[in-house]
Amino acid sequence: MTAQAMTNVGTPVSESFEPKIVGFLCNWCSYAGADKAGSSQTPYPPNVAVIRVMCSGRVDPQFILDAFHKGADGVMILACHPGDCHYKEGNQRAVQRYRILLGLLEQFGIEKERCKFDYVSAGEGEKFVRVITEMVDTVKGLGPLTLPVRAY
Amino acid sequence: MKIGLYVCTCGTNITATVDAGKVIDELTAQFPESYAAQVEFICAAEGKEFLKDHLIANRPDRVVVAACSPREYESTFMQILAEAGINPYYLQMVNIREQVAWVTPDPAQATRKATTAIRAAMMRVRYQEPLEKIEQEANGDVLVIGAGPAGLQSALFLAEAGRKVVLVEKTPVIGGMPVLYEELFPTMECGPCLLEPFEAQVLHGDSAHNIELLLLSEVTGVTGYYGNFTATIKQAPRFVGTTCIGCGMCVEACPASAANEFNCGMDEKKAIAMPFLGALPNLPYIDPGSCLRSLGQDCQLCLDACPMPGAVDLEDPGRIVERKVGAIILAIGSKLYDCSKVNGLGYGEIPGVYTSLEFERLASSNGPTAGEIKIPGGSSPASVAIVHCVGSLDPQHQQYCSGICCEYAFKFNRVLEHKLPGTKIHHFYKEMVTAGKSDFVMYEHARKNPDAGFIRYREIEEIQISASASGQKIAYRREDNTVDSIATDMVILCPAMVGSGDAAKLGDMMDLTRGEAGFFDELNGRLHTAQSKVKGIYLAGTCQAPMDIAQATSQAMAAAGYVLSGLAAGKKLVIEPISAFVDEERCSGCRICGGVCPYKAITFKDDTHTSSVNALLCHGCGTCVAACPAGAIQGNHFTNKQILAEIEAILQ
Ligand code: FES
Repeated sequence: MTAQAMTNVGTPVSESFEPKIVGFLCNWCSYAGADKAGSSQTPYPPNVAVIRVMCSGRVDPQFILDAFHKGADGVMILACHPGDCHYKEGNQRAVQRYRILLGLLEQFGIEKERCKFDYVSAGEGEKFVRVITEMVDTVKGLGPLTLPVRAY
Repeated sequence: MKIGLYVCTCGTNITATVDAGKVIDELTAQFPESYAAQVEFICAAEGKEFLKDHLIANRPDRVVVAACSPREYESTFMQILAEAGINPYYLQMVNIREQVAWVTPDPAQATRKATTAIRAAMMRVRYQEPLEKIEQEANGDVLVIGAGPAGLQSALFLAEAGRKVVLVEKTPVIGGMPVLYEELFPTMECGPCLLEPFEAQVLHGDSAHNIELLLLSEVTGVTGYYGNFTATIKQAPRFVGTTCIGCGMCVEACPASAANEFNCGMDEKKAIAMPFLGALPNLPYIDPGSCLRSLGQDCQLCLDACPMPGAVDLEDPGRIVERKVGAIILAIGSKLYDCSKVNGLGYGEIPGVYTSLEFERLASSNGPTAGEIKIPGGSSPASVAIVHCVGSLDPQHQQYCSGICCEYAFKFNRVLEHKLPGTKIHHFYKEMVTAGKSDFVMYEHARKNPDAGFIRYREIEEIQISASASGQKIAYRREDNTVDSIATDMVILCPAMVGSGDAAKLGDMMDLTRGEAGFFDELNGRLHTAQSKVKGIYLAGTCQAPMDIAQATSQAMAAAGYVLSGLAAGKKLVIEPISAFVDEERCSGCRICGGVCPYKAITFKDDTHTSSVNALLCHGCGTCVAACPAGAIQGNHFTNKQILAEIEAILQ
């Protein structure tokens, strides 16, 4: 358990709560979408730290659980649009796993809104900004994640 | 571990919001064995020079470059690492420009975000392994399936470049569909005139020795992968050998006949026959379906009539051959949408209602009527309806426009005008499409034909064709909602093009996906239409999408170009190291990975009861890595350890 996670337990939700969100972005579309948002210099909240994977299909549910375990308040998986995955169907696998994981998260006492799957294409800089902003707002609304038992 | 951290300021693009000094102080404190340097423009010539020299002088164990997007510069910096004698996979890039400085106006926030991102990279890079590109020998020979214009073009082009080509064709003749057309749009050039010289090149030209032509043949199996495929080909017996001089005496002697497939069954041909007049190669063949011998009779009249000893071989068993090739080009063509699926048109029921292909044969001098356009009963039509867009632009059937039907419909207009002056022609169309720099000529010509009329309909169901005493009656509703009817003697339906019937079988064999209409999926609809989704298998012509001869032959050249650049003489195939591999010790043999691999790169080894990844086929997506319940698959350069280290660093 990290120190950060410990301090989260029982901390009252304050106005200044800045969530930590881990974002898994596939290299070909979503990461490029994030770059597109950057090129247009549209500001968005800094709370999402990006981990680049070649395909959303690489995102092992274990990573998501691990992120929550280590203190993330939210996790995002951003993928190519259906049919656009650079590897044919990795995004399909990713979304299937995501759906199964959502059920599991609730059992762990993690609101499913803390884990978000979405499609962002290489051209959708604006959508990237919107999705990130909405997620940050959502997680701010939920407050810091407090896990009754931080073990899985 | 000594990590060399290089922070690019990008002029002031990055440092306008990110305090590079602060980032460096914090991280060098956390990673005391590491060092850091600020560079103004690391991507510029001086920046790259600096990086290289600095790497050589400092010899770090791992390198992190915090600058702009790795999508743009990762390969540049990997190259510099290699030049400095450091394994290029020891590099990790962090995008602190597009994903931090440019989108985070608050300096404190930007500095924090950059620090987190670089920390994650520094944690991760420690676990990065030295990877090497692997080289593998590859076979430069090519299998081309289908000997229509596209297949011939690829085969010839490759053969001229010195490649050995195995050209497999399922019929007894080469040339594909257009060789059956008397005239071609937009110039009214004769089909055989265009294609016969081309066919002759393939059969007897300077490079013909590089082409092994297998007629009456089908590919029954394909194993292996890019660079090393093995194809099994089943060749049916022709019963006629190459000593045949094409005199036709056997044909005269043959007592049996059956429907002639080359004339869409509109007449009959002998059991031993030339496919059609002018067919190349100029050899007859025996259709076992109608030959009396296959019906158990002891006929050998053809053999007796043949003046060339050994030319007719009634005991020809056919054969099965195996060929090793490095690449495969699919040029199997397409077919017409089944017009009987469109209600109200009477196809297959009402006499005198033909498909465009049937009309092509009726208009051809080597067709069933020797080129005289006749209706059942033997007279010439005085009134002809040509129905465009049959089964096209229609959610009930096919939604796309095939792009060539209007063209040939106007060609038919010209053929009719020429052969039967004064014939009334009624074009029924939903949309009119004649794109391209010369194709409008056909349309203009049709418009100028005083005997031609144009009727726009909204839905094909609003055309109802019924039989009448003299021919057909067509009741229709125009686009302006008015209704009317006309009497015709002949109807020509111009249906959508759809995927060939063989596409499913071949597709399954090679793991190629197909869209709803049966065309093979291309790798990318704009950049790589001639490349399938499987490495080393290429697409040429209408098996990929509806297209005309010009497009099909261009695509054939493109397919051949992929082969020539990918499998060049003396060049080995480079296997990218970002792939997956199975730790056999941990593999439980559950085969889940094989099921999720989009590239059939994973095979199951029966002897060890474990799965293994073919690195040449693996694209490195990592889907199998995430799927493996035993954690037995490692995704190079994106290992669990590396990703978990990033997660941990982010959440510190
Ligand atoms: S590459 Fe983007 S989801 Fe597969």
